[in-house]
Amino acid sequence: VRCQLPPPQRALQTSAVLRRVSDEQKEPFASSSQQRFDSHPTSHQPGQEPQGPHPSYTGQGGQESEDYESEEQLQHRILTAALEFVPEHGWTAEAIAEGAKTLGLSVAAAGMFHSDGSELILHFVSQCNVKLSELLEEEQKLVQLGEAEKKPTDQFLRDAVEARLRMLIPYIEKWPQALSILLLPRNIPSSLNLLTSMIDEIWHYAGDQSTDFNWYTRRAVLTGIYNTTELVMMQDSSPDFEDTWRFLENRVADAMNMRDTANQVQSTGEAVLQGLMGAAVTVSS
Amino acid sequence: VYQVFESVAKKYDIMNDSMTLGIHRVWKDILMHKMNPSPGTLLLDVAGGTGDIAFRFINYVRSIRERQLQQKLRHHQNLSWQEISESYQEDKLNSLGDSQVVVCDINKEMLKVGKQKAQHLGYSQGLSWVLGNAEELPFDDDKFDVYTIAFGIRNVTRIDLALEEAYRVLKPGGRFLCLEFSHVSNPLLSRLYDLYSFQVIPVLGEVIAGDWKSYQYLVESIRRFPPQEELKAMIEDAGFFKVDYQNLNMGIVAIHSGFKL
Repeated sequence: VRCQLPPPQRALQTSAVLRRVSDEQKEPFASSSQQRFDSHPTSHQPGQEPQGPHPSYTGQGGQESEDYESEEQLQHRILTAALEFVPEHGWTAEAIAEGAKTLGLSVAAAGMFHSDGSELILHFVSQCNVKLSELLEEEQKLVQLGEAEKKPTDQFLRDAVEARLRMLIPYIEKWPQALSILLLPRNIPSSLNLLTSMIDEIWHYAGDQSTDFNWYTRRAVLTGIYNTTELVMMQDSSPDFEDTWRFLENRVADAMNMRDTANQVQSTGEAVLQGLMGAAVTVSS
Repeated sequence: VYQVFESVAKKYDIMNDSMTLGIHRVWKDILMHKMNPSPGTLLLDVAGGTGDIAFRFINYVRSIRERQLQQKLRHHQNLSWQEISESYQEDKLNSLGDSQVVVCDINKEMLKVGKQKAQHLGYSQGLSWVLGNAEELPFDDDKFDVYTIAFGIRNVTRIDLALEEAYRVLKPGGRFLCLEFSHVSNPLLSRLYDLYSFQVIPVLGEVIAGDWKSYQYLVESIRRFPPQEELKAMIEDAGFFKVDYQNLNMGIVAIHSGFKL
């Protein structure tokens, strides 16, 4: 019987907090939350409707009215507001509660989220990835317009990773805690997904045309570079993290060398093989 | 309903322990954990007569507050002695961090027992006892952060009215939590449960409290109560969002939760 309720009826119940979507347009964030925790890595769709077949457990059959924001959008708003309290409270339900307070909600609203702050961290990572994509998109535009030089691959990778890691700086004291929570079995699918889509994005914009690296190797290599650099950054106390960026430079250089070495190995291998074949032919005849 | 609880009030706690073999304490603890209240939360516990939920709330908030204060002290390593002594003073006065709980019950006797327990156990701060009807709460709109009703909602004649009242008195963003006996879907457990309920509980009622009828009423009211999904739908009808339930002990008890959004 419930599912037959026409959508407008739900909208007429004055919701205490969910705002009308027209109010939402003023907030740029709401429409740019494209990276979903369990979506496949896709290319951008700016202005994508954040309302989707969300696995909502409210049993309303996804019949949220189009006029009011969905619960999910409200949750995103709360999490965004909560970020400012993270340096003080860490990635915890307390930070979320403070965030809810700033939106005029009761602190009990933090009960909508898991008490270990997982959603807050995932939300933050997702937001950082979106920011990175926007940055890379901008750069690409400039190159296409001829206003900037196309960077060589190693430089591009270094800059992209550095830009992304710099987003952690305001939260760096509490970031180790966040990393450990992201590694909880429950969170691994989401966090892994976010990580791989970010890495794929970087490679997409790197526009590396060389076909000698196959796709999985590229992904693995850059993921390794990113993760190790992130860990180094956690215990780096040098001014403006210069030690970290130097580490990053070296790792990227290693990766480039590895590619050349791989080529060399491959061509050497081919040469050896040809030699053997030749020898075999000679011997047999 | 009033008369049932009048006779039941004094032996309420003992009966709870014997009927549920003490598990009701665990259920209430789980409810508190789910609530995870932060200091400064204002709780309304309806049908909370003897104060079980209220006392747990106070304990929980107190320990969270202690942890918060410890962390604060750890960060302020360079305090002068003056500042340290001032902060200890503040701790003593504000051990609850402005959290408060209002216990509301329709029955004077239950409230009396609750107040006595509070005195006996040493709870003085942050507690209020109010006589009131869940279908028509004597409170203003948008007042409370959390509304709980533990093992009380099945005694309410018009559940929909109680849910609407709950919605009314909660602040935006506030949470509704309901702990109640519910439907066991597992057939084997269901048979055992029925056996226990109808054979053992009224007998215990007679032996311990001298009252067969009330406990027969209790068991029957549990059977009549709507199952999990139906209650969830009713809560949604009252206007709550993100309504969800968690079965404890395979459905013998369920915690329903909703938010006023």
